[in-house]
Amino acid sequence: MTERLSPRAATFGGLLLWFAVLGGVLSWTVHALAAWSIDELTCEAGHDELAGFPLTGAIALAVLLPAAGAVAALGVSVLAWRRTRADLPEGGEQSVGRAHLLAFVGLWLNTLALAMIVLGGVAALVLSPCQR
Amino acid sequence: MPSSTTERGAGPGTEVVERLTAEWAEPPTLRGWFSTVDHKRIGRRYLVTAAVFFGFAGFSALAMRTQLAGPEAEILSPGEYNQLFSMHGTAMIFLFSTPMLFGFGNFLVPLMVGARDMAFPRLNAFGYWVFLFAGLFMWASVPAGAAPNGGWFAYVPLTDERHTPGLHLDVYTLGLLFLGISTSAGAINFIVTSLKLRAPGMSLNRVPVFVWAIVATSFMVIFALPVLNLDNALLFLDRRFDTRFFDTDRGGNVLLWQHLFWIFGHPDVYIIVMPALGIVSAVLPVFCRRGIVAYPLIVLSVVAIAIISFGVWVHHMFATGLPQLSYGFFSAASTIITIPSGLQIFAWLATMLLGRIVVRVPFLFVVGFIVTFVIGGFTGVMFALTAFDQQTTDSYFVVAHFHYVLFGGAVFPILAAIYYWLPKISGRMYSERLGRYAFWLIFVGMNLTFFPMHVSGLLGMPRRVYTYPGGLGWDPWNLLATVGAYVLGLGLLLVAVGVVHALRRGAPAPDDPWGGDSLEWATSSPPKPYNFPVLPRVHSLHPVWDPRTAESTGPGATEDRILTDGRQTLFTSELDGRYERAVRMPEETLKPLVAAIGLLTVFVGLLFAWYWVAAAGGALFAGTLAGWLWPAHRTPEEAGVPA
Amino acid sequence: MTERGEGILTAATRPTGLATEEPVGRSTGWWGVMLFLTTEGTLFAALFGSYFYLRFQHGAPWPPDGIRQPELLLPLIMTAVLVPSSLPVLWAEAGIRQGRRWQLRAGLFGTLVMGGTFLGLQGVEYSGILREYTFTTNVYGSLFYAITTFHGSHVAVGLLMVCWLLVASLHGSFGPHRYERVRIVAYYWHFVDAVWVAILFTVYLSPRL
Repeated sequence: MTERLSPRAATFGGLLLWFAVLGGVLSWTVHALAAWSIDELTCEAGHDELAGFPLTGAIALAVLLPAAGAVAALGVSVLAWRRTRADLPEGGEQSVGRAHLLAFVGLWLNTLALAMIVLGGVAALVLSPCQR
Repeated sequence: MPSSTTERGAGPGTEVVERLTAEWAEPPTLRGWFSTVDHKRIGRRYLVTAAVFFGFAGFSALAMRTQLAGPEAEILSPGEYNQLFSMHGTAMIFLFSTPMLFGFGNFLVPLMVGARDMAFPRLNAFGYWVFLFAGLFMWASVPAGAAPNGGWFAYVPLTDERHTPGLHLDVYTLGLLFLGISTSAGAINFIVTSLKLRAPGMSLNRVPVFVWAIVATSFMVIFALPVLNLDNALLFLDRRFDTRFFDTDRGGNVLLWQHLFWIFGHPDVYIIVMPALGIVSAVLPVFCRRGIVAYPLIVLSVVAIAIISFGVWVHHMFATGLPQLSYGFFSAASTIITIPSGLQIFAWLATMLLGRIVVRVPFLFVVGFIVTFVIGGFTGVMFALTAFDQQTTDSYFVVAHFHYVLFGGAVFPILAAIYYWLPKISGRMYSERLGRYAFWLIFVGMNLTFFPMHVSGLLGMPRRVYTYPGGLGWDPWNLLATVGAYVLGLGLLLVAVGVVHALRRGAPAPDDPWGGDSLEWATSSPPKPYNFPVLPRVHSLHPVWDPRTAESTGPGATEDRILTDGRQTLFTSELDGRYERAVRMPEETLKPLVAAIGLLTVFVGLLFAWYWVAAAGGALFAGTLAGWLWPAHRTPEEAGVPA
Repeated sequence: MTERGEGILTAATRPTGLATEEPVGRSTGWWGVMLFLTTEGTLFAALFGSYFYLRFQHGAPWPPDGIRQPELLLPLIMTAVLVPSSLPVLWAEAGIRQGRRWQLRAGLFGTLVMGGTFLGLQGVEYSGILREYTFTTNVYGSLFYAITTFHGSHVAVGLLMVCWLLVASLHGSFGPHRYERVRIVAYYWHFVDAVWVAILFTVYLSPRL
């Protein structure tokens, strides 16, 4: 590995790897907080709409947007995992091995996060929002 | 790398060792005992102190089991019983599990990453003193008859001033706030140590699983503990100064306590179990004579559990009447989190399957862990079904479940760790025969104590009752559990006897009695004050099995990893462990102790409403801190000021 | 430069791009203060979360019991005093990097004056509001005083730290090679400022939404 990158590209690459690792779980965090607080607080106040917007629609948005984020992170992590696979043998460039491990962790984290968001979406399809 | 890579250093000759000893050894005086900043001594103190608190909490449990042996017993009054079960839970969670595991972390993390101390040695000493004082602060309330009595999660409105007058819950809130300072400081120290002080070459893919686990735990502490602190602060304000956070007559809300408590509380289950899982991943492969199977998956599992555990708290509140759909979001997380947890179990099973097993006492405890933890995990999965949870909540079934999880998930690994690292910590071998007796007594006793509780719980016995009427079908199960508790107590006593026996009579331990793979086995038993005469260079996940690492500490070692000029260790880069620079480490000092005494004064003052005393303690704390962090005087040239 | 003629994205997704170490080269002090501020920030986040939880569980009207909407004039003046107080700290830090000790001292002094003014204004605000309601009146009063006092105590601690730095700088301990403590206090001060902006939104502006 002798190729050199501009500092901007290098920093961007480093940050992109972190998006590949944590993007999915961050999306899930947004989903869980948004969907839960919208549902809980709106129902508690006795409404089934949020500022004129139907509650089911708001919850659907709180499922679909984070799901898109998790899918994007999943895509990047698969790419990063494949790109860093090249020289894994012991004694090779340690950063590439490290990036490969992080991309692998990200790949599965994103998959788990996506699964949780989808399961939450399924719950929203099955249950009416304020049923107790 | 500095230019000295090509220069050949002296290697760890006697002259080097003498200079290192002169720099790092602490005087064997009384003052030296109080002023130490050596992570190994502090780690040992954590272990011993936490074990003593475990003993107190264990005796509380024995007293309760004696009371429950038969119906209508009157050994303990209801008030005493309430205090005992509250202190038992609170102490086991906060004063035993986490500090015990942090004790192992303190001793082992710098050794495993190949450093000479923690990143902040004085903060480390401060953390220990705060832990000790907070523990004494809470336990002192028991003989005074003012111990916490609202259960370990202290739900309001039961615990507000109107329903529980007296100091009981003030001891709880203030004690946990006090202790939280120690835990947070320890967590920050672990993360920074693992990020910056790893041996050169130890990129993230070569970090031992135990260190990953401690770091993940520390991140959970960083995010979870402030929520508990807030909760306790609000309750203290409500009780002492009549604020209205939990007062429903004035617009407050009691569910806020539960939400905040479990936002902390569920991650806390993993804060306790995660380092213990790290211990298993360190111990088990060594007795299978191979490296751990699926290291990347285990790292994934550690990271995933640390994150997802923050999204499951509502599953402790399935019986509180929230909308079904909000349960749905949390059920999703509660179900998915079983995947990473299961991954670790399968990785360990595969390691055993592919390895050549050598059965020694630490391995026995690891197997005991797997069996009990899987049973606890199985009942845990049952709770993810909201309908089942609503039937069994607050019954002895829950008590059985979390004792399988916590005794299986934390105490068994801790016992494995005691036997596994005792040779390293003390330089002595334990008696194998005594250890095996202890294991079988504990394993049988544990199951005899907690398995019958599943049955009595399903038969409807509620938890936290100080006695019960006969003839409900609960009697035989309770008697069994009590017999089990005494067997268990005997087994734990044998562990203590085994440790004392090893310290007094044990054969001297070799540096690497087990053929372990991580760096603590690359140094002497017990390690010298400077840990490593030469800081090793790491080339793989198993540095001790790697001849290149041994070579790096041999005669060809370079001066930039020996560092005999003052107390020094190395900074390496965060992710890849590239050599950055040598840094100075602080000398021993009494300031951490004085600062902790200042905080103790603050909390005692707050407890008894002596606010001037509290203010004086605060001033002592702030003044000590100001001196502690005071920058050394430097001439303009040293500071780099242009003339 | 391999990425000449190709996009930054292509370059960044090469193995060397993805394997770039980020973050890198920070000191233990930097990591320590960042983690400390993370845990402090979580504490404030939980406090604000509790505010909204209690508010929405309470329902309208908010503030309850006939308490008027919070006045905005004084808090906005306080904002105008506290938020810009980060600038003298930045200026002081920039000064010591260049070895200008006078600039460090002057900047710290400026921060001290602005932070002290903020606390004084908070006292003025309390003296007015305490006549209307206290922290025992109802949950709104408890939340208002708990949040603002907790933040105010952080400002007070920050001021103590700035005083401490000022004394140390008069002592002559800092220079371009030795200014990490200045940076750490500066981070803390910026954090306290940022929290105030969140308080302005939560406590003062959100009841009007």
